[in-house]
Amino acid sequence: MIKFSNVSLVYPNSTTTVLENLNLEITEGELVLVIGPTGSGKSSLLRLINGLVPHHTGGILAGDVSVNGLSTREVKPGGLAHLIGIVGQNPMNGFVADIVEEELAFAMEALNLPNETMRKRIEEALDFMSLTTLRTRAIATLSGGEQQRVAIASALVMHPKVLVLDEPTSALDPIAAEEVLSILQRLVHDLSITVVIAEHKLERVIGFADRIVYINGDGRTEVGTAAEIMKTSPIAPPIVHLARVLALDNAGLSVRDMRRNTQELRESISISPSNHIAPSTIPVIEIKQLSVTYGSKPALNSITATIFDNEIVAVMGRNGAGKSSLLTSIAGVGSSEVGSIRIHSLDSKKLTGKSRRETIGYIPQEPSDLLYAQSVAKECEQADKDSEIEAGTTFELLNQLVPGISLRTHPRDLSEGQRLGLALSIVLSSNPKVLVLDEPTRGLDYEAKKMLTQILIGFAQSFNRAVVIATHDVELVAELATRVIFLADGDIVADGPTVDVLLSSPAFAPQISKVMSPVPWLTVRDVIAALGQKT
Amino acid sequence: MKKFSLHPLTWWIWSLAIAISVARVNSPIFAIAAVGVMGIIIITQREDAPWGKSFTWTLKVAAWILFFRSAIGVLIGVPIPGTTIFSLPIMPLPHWMPGIRIGGAVTLERLSSALSEGVIICAIIVVFGAAASLTSPHRLLRVLPIYIYEFGVAVVIATSVLPQLVTSVGRIRQAQRLRGQKAKGFSSYKRVAIPLLEESLARSLELAAAMDSRGYAFSRKRSRYRPILWTSRDTAIVLSGVLVIALT
Repeated sequence: MIKFSNVSLVYPNSTTTVLENLNLEITEGELVLVIGPTGSGKSSLLRLINGLVPHHTGGILAGDVSVNGLSTREVKPGGLAHLIGIVGQNPMNGFVADIVEEELAFAMEALNLPNETMRKRIEEALDFMSLTTLRTRAIATLSGGEQQRVAIASALVMHPKVLVLDEPTSALDPIAAEEVLSILQRLVHDLSITVVIAEHKLERVIGFADRIVYINGDGRTEVGTAAEIMKTSPIAPPIVHLARVLALDNAGLSVRDMRRNTQELRESISISPSNHIAPSTIPVIEIKQLSVTYGSKPALNSITATIFDNEIVAVMGRNGAGKSSLLTSIAGVGSSEVGSIRIHSLDSKKLTGKSRRETIGYIPQEPSDLLYAQSVAKECEQADKDSEIEAGTTFELLNQLVPGISLRTHPRDLSEGQRLGLALSIVLSSNPKVLVLDEPTRGLDYEAKKMLTQILIGFAQSFNRAVVIATHDVELVAELATRVIFLADGDIVADGPTVDVLLSSPAFAPQISKVMSPVPWLTVRDVIAALGQKT
Repeated sequence: MKKFSLHPLTWWIWSLAIAISVARVNSPIFAIAAVGVMGIIIITQREDAPWGKSFTWTLKVAAWILFFRSAIGVLIGVPIPGTTIFSLPIMPLPHWMPGIRIGGAVTLERLSSALSEGVIICAIIVVFGAAASLTSPHRLLRVLPIYIYEFGVAVVIATSVLPQLVTSVGRIRQAQRLRGQKAKGFSSYKRVAIPLLEESLARSLELAAAMDSRGYAFSRKRSRYRPILWTSRDTAIVLSGVLVIALT
């Protein structure tokens, strides 16, 4: 179906090759997963399939990419529209209509299909993606998962043979992600559509993949079945790390296989390690009966919670549960709120300038919102000046967090992880009493997440600070958080130590805990620690 | 008041008619009246969508233009004799630039003529800004003929990405405020502008790529799933616009 023959790709003004001599043939009805570190060229590989690279981006392409016999050299992306459906990283940015139905019709109208065909296909696609109830809704009012489904549906109306998706679950909560992935699975099995996905959260998708393409970032690629690639790949879901630690060969990639292989181990262990550190009793953030409404829609209903020193609190919940509202209220920039929030008995709304920087550090969903200077050096200088610290301190901090960033680089040219590192070091240079992060892991690979975990734990423990983080990433929460606040429809439905909250909900349980249940271990680290105790 | 579902070109034609009349009448009072009428239409008719929120920004931009236009009109230009309000020092200019003066006496006549010209220019900007704010850019794209493809893409990007940027401005300013920076005043514009430009460029490219990969303008002819109809209400509004031109 898709054929890459001797494909090499270089972007202009770049010294590294993205792909070098890639040969890959994807057959009909195959689900191929593309993995690799951030910035390694996963998106480029996906966009090569329908010719957006190089027709839209420029760059030098050697070799040939053909889909169903059509070479992208000869046909422009528009000419492949009937064959390939492509769904971008952020579907909202690619929508061209206001109403769900019109969005679905757009591509068919462009290809001048007759009206009866359009009606039939739109009905089919709406049914298939369970969107019938949303057909006349404005797209802007839909939730993230629904938007993702609309984007897939509007590709499906063309009856494509190939569906290409760039990180389809990165913005979704675990339940919505599961929905989208099971739909893809159905497309592959029922309609024999060829699907190519790029994804960072391997634990979510690896079970569905027939083959994996691993992109190294320096042009090298490896292609193989999931089991083959996972033997050596540095990028691997927790379950594979567990298998490596326990030295299990052919342990399988699903929770079921892993449980079979670890049965003996689980039975041999009776102790349940209690690594509960007694929480501190010094309150840092006191939230009292906080309510937030947007228009007539309540986002938070009278929430009361106290966050103490030394705690890393993960705020979890489905898309639209009120996580961001809670975070912006804590930071003191929320709107239309009732109730009170005190940080070390200061009202966070009234803080400005220096005292704000020293009280709250806030990392928004897009860390680049904080950056405006023309180079890393200027950015660091500004932070030094703002925090009234010795010149060079911020850069030193940045070097500790993410080594190897050149001072002259433009912040825009940094990778996602490096940019987050820069934003963090700027915020941390003022040594705030509270650090608030709003979904910082979108588009981060495992390496970058590990870095983030280390930074945050180090910050909370060595300075006795409180950290509040909103995220969908269960594995990150398992590694990082000491406490989880679970929101649903603006109410706190669960609040307690990470182990208790995560284990009580199967959808939000991390992989290791599913394998090791009923032993309450959340991460590979827990397992190693416990095994070390035993021997 | 109930929101009418109109043809996407209706408000644009109407705005064009009003803009022509404003230019023809050439009176600041008429221009202010036109802005007022537009304001009322916006308040009652705009949709709760990203482009609906862009009107306040149009007003802000217009106010800035009015300010600069009047300031420059007072400082530079041909002197108009009349009642002197105050005097500015005259900047000497070389003799080969006769008739132009920088500084000098500011007369009431000079000030009022500069102001009234500024008001008229701004009114025209506001009138078109209102049309952009009243019409869904996506619907507008659907009625534009296919052979102006590049123009169509440019229109969609200008009218759909830019209003979304109004939302982005809010988000970026909030983030900057949280960094402890002042979010008001002139110096803050630079801090907002850079992340904003970056985002708008990235978004425009992404939208263009999405349209291209979905076959936009691939076929010379386009079919309509749900045709956008021209109703009698559209005719009535356009006729009222023509009437305004005829009367002025």
